[in-house]
Amino acid sequence: MARRVVITGASAITPIGRSRDEIVRHLVEGISGVKKLRNDGLLTEHIQSGVYGTVDYPIEYDFKRSHAKTMGPVSFYACQVSREALQAAGLDPAFITSGRLGVAFGSTHGSPSAQRNIYKTFFTERERGVAAIGAVDYLKSMVHTTAVNITKMFGITGRVISSSTACTTSSQSIGFGYEAVKYGMQDAMLCGGADEYDTTTVAVFDNLLACSTEFNATPHLTPRPFDAARDGLVVGEGAGAVLLEDYEHARKRGAPILGEVIGFSCTNNGGDLILPNVQGITRTLKLALEQAAIGPGAVDFVSAHATATKMGDVVEAQAIGGIYGDGPVVAGLKSYMGHTMGSCGAIEAILTLYMMQAGFIPRTLNLDHVDERCAMIRHALQLIERPVRIAAVQNFAFGGVNTCVMLKRFDG
Amino acid sequence: MERNAIIVAILRIFTERFEIENPGLDDNLRDAYEFDSIDAVELLHEIEVLLGTRLTRAEKKNAMDIRTIRQIADYIEALAAARAAEGAGGAAERLTSQES
Repeated sequence: MARRVVITGASAITPIGRSRDEIVRHLVEGISGVKKLRNDGLLTEHIQSGVYGTVDYPIEYDFKRSHAKTMGPVSFYACQVSREALQAAGLDPAFITSGRLGVAFGSTHGSPSAQRNIYKTFFTERERGVAAIGAVDYLKSMVHTTAVNITKMFGITGRVISSSTACTTSSQSIGFGYEAVKYGMQDAMLCGGADEYDTTTVAVFDNLLACSTEFNATPHLTPRPFDAARDGLVVGEGAGAVLLEDYEHARKRGAPILGEVIGFSCTNNGGDLILPNVQGITRTLKLALEQAAIGPGAVDFVSAHATATKMGDVVEAQAIGGIYGDGPVVAGLKSYMGHTMGSCGAIEAILTLYMMQAGFIPRTLNLDHVDERCAMIRHALQLIERPVRIAAVQNFAFGGVNTCVMLKRFDG
Repeated sequence: MERNAIIVAILRIFTERFEIENPGLDDNLRDAYEFDSIDAVELLHEIEVLLGTRLTRAEKKNAMDIRTIRQIADYIEALAAARAAEGAGGAAERLTSQES
């Protein structure tokens, strides 16, 4: 029998702040977290895009050496938000280590800075060959480094899922974690994603002509989801973690319930690895509604993937229009932070929870003139104060992967 | 290397590399400081730098049972003595054979 799955803890590190209040303030006041790309002394001068969704405030980590020694920056982010989500959920330490709690956490490709150090060492100390690579370098850099540094830090012994599907990494984490709890495989799952400051990713998208380049002198004016003047995505950094828990388990222990996951869909376009696909996205949105057992009219808000690429936004708008018409309000939260890559699904889900709690939908930043090809949906052109009861959080990735997480405000 | 110089060097490595301040000579490093096999491999790299020589696979494996600072000092002392006995020519030959 399927169980209800609720969210009992959440934490995020984002370009628009750490705390719920700070993030909400940025959304309400329309303040961007996109800054100028820092010079990394390696790739920056070769990249045409000069903007980045930047975490530019200090974060105090209080990690033991035995924990920190296997972490690259991405795992510092991951473990910090995980610690805070667990604290917020107030789980008993005995439960955390019982095997009834699992982890679903990922990143785009581990720690790029740790990988960069490996290659740097390898090529500058060639006389020492592979011996020059440190014992912990792989543990810092590997694809599942976030998930297993989390299990180590908290002694979590349940199942481990470490999705690494670029932009759908953490939406898959939430979705697969949701299914693990829903079908009784685990009583709770710590789910999320993280990605560290990385110019390699910018270079990749820059080479594909997908990055924003026209607003390098005015970073806060990009990205521009659905806007006629949009010129591409802005890569960003960040992390998000949510604690998903069996509703009955949460209720019995009197846990704070922030919201409920009521559905999840994941599909592939079954073809091209890059081009957005309206049929694939449409099928994903439809499947998510079916999984949640609701009709499109029940959805108040759509958090669009909306990276501000030329074709991606048009295709997504067509799919949303086809399923929902102009019913729910649609906003592109990346307009505030850029594309935080592997963490975007979790961060956008957490922001949506905050919006449900506070009762507002922020405007899509920089959406001054809606592209007529995206005009068939109901855009958030200004801050809207209204209850948000059910929301769809959409994310799509290179490789043709599509996800949709359905969230519901918890009203008991 | 003199024994005292070896101890000083080890303590410096533990402070700088492992953030472990003034461990007792006979403290069990695993129990007291969570010094594990990953740290041991890092330590062997530091010992190679300290002695200016490469360690063989067998020498590295011999280090895996070490648990205390005193045992580390013994290990380094023995390595330094062996390298000194081999002489500069022997060491060079050894490095050459390892490269091949």
